[in-house]
Amino acid sequence: MADDKDVWVFSEKPALQAELIAGAQQLTSHTGGQVMAVVLGARSQAEQALEQGSQRVLWLGELPSGRLVEDIVPTLAASVQDKRPFGVIIGATIRGRAVAGRLAARLGVAALADVLEFQWDDSALLARHMVFGGGAVRIDRPLAGPVIATTGQGIFEAGALQARPKGEIEPLSWVEPPWQAAVIERRSRAVSSVNLSAAKRVVCPGRGVARQEDLGLIEELAQALSAEMACTRPLAEGLGWLPRERYIGISGAMIKPDLYLGVGVSGQAQHTIGMSESRVVVAINKDRAAPLMTQSDYAVEGDLYQVVPALIRALKARKAK
Amino acid sequence: MKIVVCAKLAPDASDIEVRSDGSISLERAEWRIGSFDLQAIEAAVRLRDAHGGSVTALSVGPQRINHSKLRKDLLSRGPDELVLVAEDALNGADTAVTAQVLAAAVRKIGAVDLVLTGEGSADLYFQQVGLQLGELLAVPVFNAVSKIEVSDSQVRIERSLEEETEVLELPLPAVLAVTTDIHTPRLPNMKEILLAAKKPVYEWSLADLGLENTPEPRVEAVSLRAPRPVERKRILIEGSPEEAAQSLAGYLVKEGVV
Repeated sequence: MADDKDVWVFSEKPALQAELIAGAQQLTSHTGGQVMAVVLGARSQAEQALEQGSQRVLWLGELPSGRLVEDIVPTLAASVQDKRPFGVIIGATIRGRAVAGRLAARLGVAALADVLEFQWDDSALLARHMVFGGGAVRIDRPLAGPVIATTGQGIFEAGALQARPKGEIEPLSWVEPPWQAAVIERRSRAVSSVNLSAAKRVVCPGRGVARQEDLGLIEELAQALSAEMACTRPLAEGLGWLPRERYIGISGAMIKPDLYLGVGVSGQAQHTIGMSESRVVVAINKDRAAPLMTQSDYAVEGDLYQVVPALIRALKARKAK
Repeated sequence: MKIVVCAKLAPDASDIEVRSDGSISLERAEWRIGSFDLQAIEAAVRLRDAHGGSVTALSVGPQRINHSKLRKDLLSRGPDELVLVAEDALNGADTAVTAQVLAAAVRKIGAVDLVLTGEGSADLYFQQVGLQLGELLAVPVFNAVSKIEVSDSQVRIERSLEEETEVLELPLPAVLAVTTDIHTPRLPNMKEILLAAKKPVYEWSLADLGLENTPEPRVEAVSLRAPRPVERKRILIEGSPEEAAQSLAGYLVKEGVV
């Protein structure tokens, strides 16, 4: 194993891990190293990482009870210092961000946050990400290794699962964290988990929807389109009408569906950063000057409370034919 | 209880000017307190009001953050004092440099029980500095903190994760990055604005912090440009709701999305 060539991935979410492995493969095709997943979980999860395309697995076993995923930081830091990979790509969940920031500090580097794309300038790695609330694209070049980066869901496309992967699972032992938080309670918040980035069609209500009970109408439209319901950030975070994992945009979901239909969505850059790569964009808004209306394929100018019921009827009528 | 709240003073993203070649100018942008940092300030001030002690606001950046309007804006939101490390060497500082300077400043402030930060900066929103700061200070550090209860030398926090709420207990001192919905930030009233002018402001240099050399940058920004706009058909559909709906449904069929 050569120094500074391997690319490691870590995510506590197996689906995201598969995408990170695909991203890491892009890097190892330049560095010439191997993709290695660091797995915190059952042995079956370590095997799953191999099926997902990881060439080796550093396996920590299951999270001991009372421990947090974030407690992996000292272990990861020690392993990185020992094995010297080119870099570590970490899934940009809340826990993943915590791991990345702390790991970067321990290693004396700055993590590249929410990377949308890796590029190479000769032998130098470049990372593209959005700044200024989606208003600008910045390309960063790490000046020191190892490269620590975070990447969210929907950025890299996971490869096909391998039927009989030949990779080694190497056990990794825990390094005791210097401090420990006591877990008092965990309450599940989401009724059902949703994978917006896998949805083919997405309907997204925004602040143009006046009352929470009006979301029923939007849901009816989503059903008529066999679409997944998303929302803008204020509906999830300020108003709490929908669970957080349904909001699109900066720090939320990044989606590329075939159809994105925004209902009463103004289209602030913080939101559109998460959906601008949708194949077909539709906006329904009474204000034809709303930013999303000018960045749509089809912009319907009208009162959503009239247009949406009419659209549901039109879609149902077509289905009935 | 001694609380430090970190706030980034940065150009307002909504004032970005895009030049015709796609490059970006921030020259005319107004500098403000990061919109996600206001909640951290509010949380710090409420904890002080409930438990006594003091709140020190801390900001590091280029010289232009040392501006009377920004100083007053920060202090009128309730902190007792302000520490600024304003040197042009910190212009465009990366997260590693920023966290190192903050850590040195927190150490110099001394005997700090709790450091609060916002979820991320309003300009870059990398959501990294608070976490790096905690690790550099070698104290418990968490992000996504939506509730803080302090008792003795302990703190009980709630974290709003993607699918669950997690309640943790940790020893102090600690560094916590708070969510945007932890509290609604107050609007300073006239009394607080007048009071702000009398509160102490400490201007520390990097040398004062024992950082003879500016910490070495770890990341270099090679370009900053407007995102390339995706070409859209921009077909405006008007008319009665029924007509518009029929027309849109037709387009959706033609696009093969229904």
